[in-house]
Amino acid sequence: MDPIYYIYLATLLFSIGAIGVLVRRNAIIVFMSVELMLNAANLVFVAFARMNGNLDGQTVAFFVMVVAAAEVVVGLAIIVQVFRTRASASIDEPNLLKY
Amino acid sequence: MNTFTAPEIDYVAIAPILIVAIAALLSVLTETFLPRSVRRPVQMILTLISLIGALIVLVINRDIRTITGGGAVAIDGPALVLMGTILILALLSAFLVAERSLDSLGDSFAPSAAALPGSVDEREFSARGYFQTEIWTLFLFAVLGMLAFVVANDLLFMFVALEVMSLPLYLMVGMARRRRLLSQEAALKYFVLGAFSSAFFIFGAGLVYGFAGSISLPEINDALASTAGETLLIVIGMAMLLVGLLFKVGAVPFHQWTPDVYQGAPTPITAFMGATVKVAAFGAMMRLLYVAFSGIQWDWEIILWAVSILSMIIGSLIALTQSDVKRMLAYSAIAQSGFILVGVVAASPSGISAVMFYLIAYGLVTVGTLAVISMVRDSTGEATHLSKWAGLGKKSPVLGAVMAVFMLSLAGIPLTSGFVIKFSVFAAGIAEGDTWLVIAAVVASIIAAFFYVRVIVVMFFSAPNENTASVAVPSIFTTITVAATVTATLVLGIIPQPMIDLLTNAGIFIR
Amino acid sequence: MNVYTPILVLGILAFGFAVFSIVIASFTGPKRYNRAKYAAYECGIEPTPQPMGGGRFPVKFYLTAMMFIIFDIELVFLYPWAVSADALGAFGLIAIFLFLINLCLPYAFEWRRGGLEWD
Repeated sequence: MDPIYYIYLATLLFSIGAIGVLVRRNAIIVFMSVELMLNAANLVFVAFARMNGNLDGQTVAFFVMVVAAAEVVVGLAIIVQVFRTRASASIDEPNLLKY
Repeated sequence: MNTFTAPEIDYVAIAPILIVAIAALLSVLTETFLPRSVRRPVQMILTLISLIGALIVLVINRDIRTITGGGAVAIDGPALVLMGTILILALLSAFLVAERSLDSLGDSFAPSAAALPGSVDEREFSARGYFQTEIWTLFLFAVLGMLAFVVANDLLFMFVALEVMSLPLYLMVGMARRRRLLSQEAALKYFVLGAFSSAFFIFGAGLVYGFAGSISLPEINDALASTAGETLLIVIGMAMLLVGLLFKVGAVPFHQWTPDVYQGAPTPITAFMGATVKVAAFGAMMRLLYVAFSGIQWDWEIILWAVSILSMIIGSLIALTQSDVKRMLAYSAIAQSGFILVGVVAASPSGISAVMFYLIAYGLVTVGTLAVISMVRDSTGEATHLSKWAGLGKKSPVLGAVMAVFMLSLAGIPLTSGFVIKFSVFAAGIAEGDTWLVIAAVVASIIAAFFYVRVIVVMFFSAPNENTASVAVPSIFTTITVAATVTATLVLGIIPQPMIDLLTNAGIFIR
Repeated sequence: MNVYTPILVLGILAFGFAVFSIVIASFTGPKRYNRAKYAAYECGIEPTPQPMGGGRFPVKFYLTAMMFIIFDIELVFLYPWAVSADALGAFGLIAIFLFLINLCLPYAFEWRRGGLEWD
């Protein structure tokens, strides 16, 4: 099978993630959308590693996974703290900061 | 199976980064095993020694030009200059983080970031006189990420450095002692948008890798030189990489987080990130564009043209309407990003040195301004609303004069560093034929001058009233920072030539 | 086929150990039954009955999940090292040890700060 289809799939996943970040209101779901975007990038790297015939892309995929995990931990820490303070995980509700 | 050859690592060349890395790990150990009472002094000494030590090693290393670590790390003139800038600005911000005599409650950070705002736990922590010391660990890791960011010579290392820089900053933003809801909200917004933009960065890196078959910046350049087709892939990839970087510098249209984060973050952290993140991100951006994408200069030039003009005009116009000093500074930071982009677009050796000069001078002014803001207080903490600054210059002439110097420098008035840097960036732009861009920049800086001067007018030409904030007496830490930044601003403005020579000698990004 | 013999042996050993453990436990283990023992999960929240709207999870679960995620996924770097440990030689060994030491530091931090305690 032509690896280019994986690139189309990855682009689709990335777009779904990006739209999810922009339209969803629950912080956790926004967060999952970001993870979807990162994993789409992983798919791009792995597919291109196959197409280019070198291993750089697979190496990158490992690092992106780990960075994504680190981001999850930092992000969940912030979201849980905001949630405990406000008893809500909506990202529309924190609206104290505006001019 | 291929035989494996270990990558050559020039440990001397990367010693400044290693020093900060080791200090950051020691700082984790300090938090783990030392009793609470000694953590703060140990952390402060560790930070101070590592930053100064890295700076000294950097000066000793000043003639090293090498690519090491299997091609992942490029130590060249601009990298050394930018690393030095980051270390100096981090050192000055570290003094602000250490300050604890301005606020009657202690330093600027919540004693326990995990305790709920207004809860029994929080009151108990405050009553026991606990202090936040993990901030130092995060601080060192953020500095480590920034240093790695400006030397990164492949997309993977750049991405990892970007995250090592950003993740501690997200947390530090949410740690303010006062106005904790605002602070947490700022952290949430910064995090969500930051993660969003780094996803763009890595996806763009994937597309570029697909085109070039390599993640190393020089090899991407070679691939661009040898192939003519498939340019859409690389242009989209390059644009997505730029989204990630432009987000970090807060350029329009990726600026929405900037005002909220500047306002919500604890002021020492605002100073730290406002100054150093710009240095790191612009350093990485220049390396990426000049080393990897010089073959498609026309494509990124047009993007940066638009972003630059939008940032300058929108940043300046919205800053005019702001009534909060920190928020106004945030919009000013957006406009200043636009001015720096004029130098980036120029893409010439004089452009590189002009941008580096801009980053140094602007970083010093930013740290200084926020140090001054942290001193202006009323009963609820920092008084950042402009109405509370009325007559402050008459009430406290020294602070007023220092603030005036910073504001004049940001506005670009002669005899301050702001004039020299704006002039050199605009000159580099004119020399490369970006005349219309420079004209737009001049118009924007005239608009921008209004709101900087307005702060001076409010401080000196209106009478103090009962709402006017008072000026807290700082300890030695903030005094050092303010004195150093104001001196540097004036010296760089009056005798800029030594610095210009130094930056010209630093040369260009190596391949 | 020789290559797969160790895997087969390992599989037999694992199966044998599992059977041995279950059998030996029924002879030697103490038998004190109470309500908690009969619950579906010995620890964690009750799966049934669910409150309306799915109910709320205690924040502690997030903390544990976060720590699991970070330490679990960091170990992914051991796989590429493990499959080519011979080729990488001393350089790889030193590098992976430095990595593991780096991983132990935050773990020690977590432990000393009480992040591993449930209550």
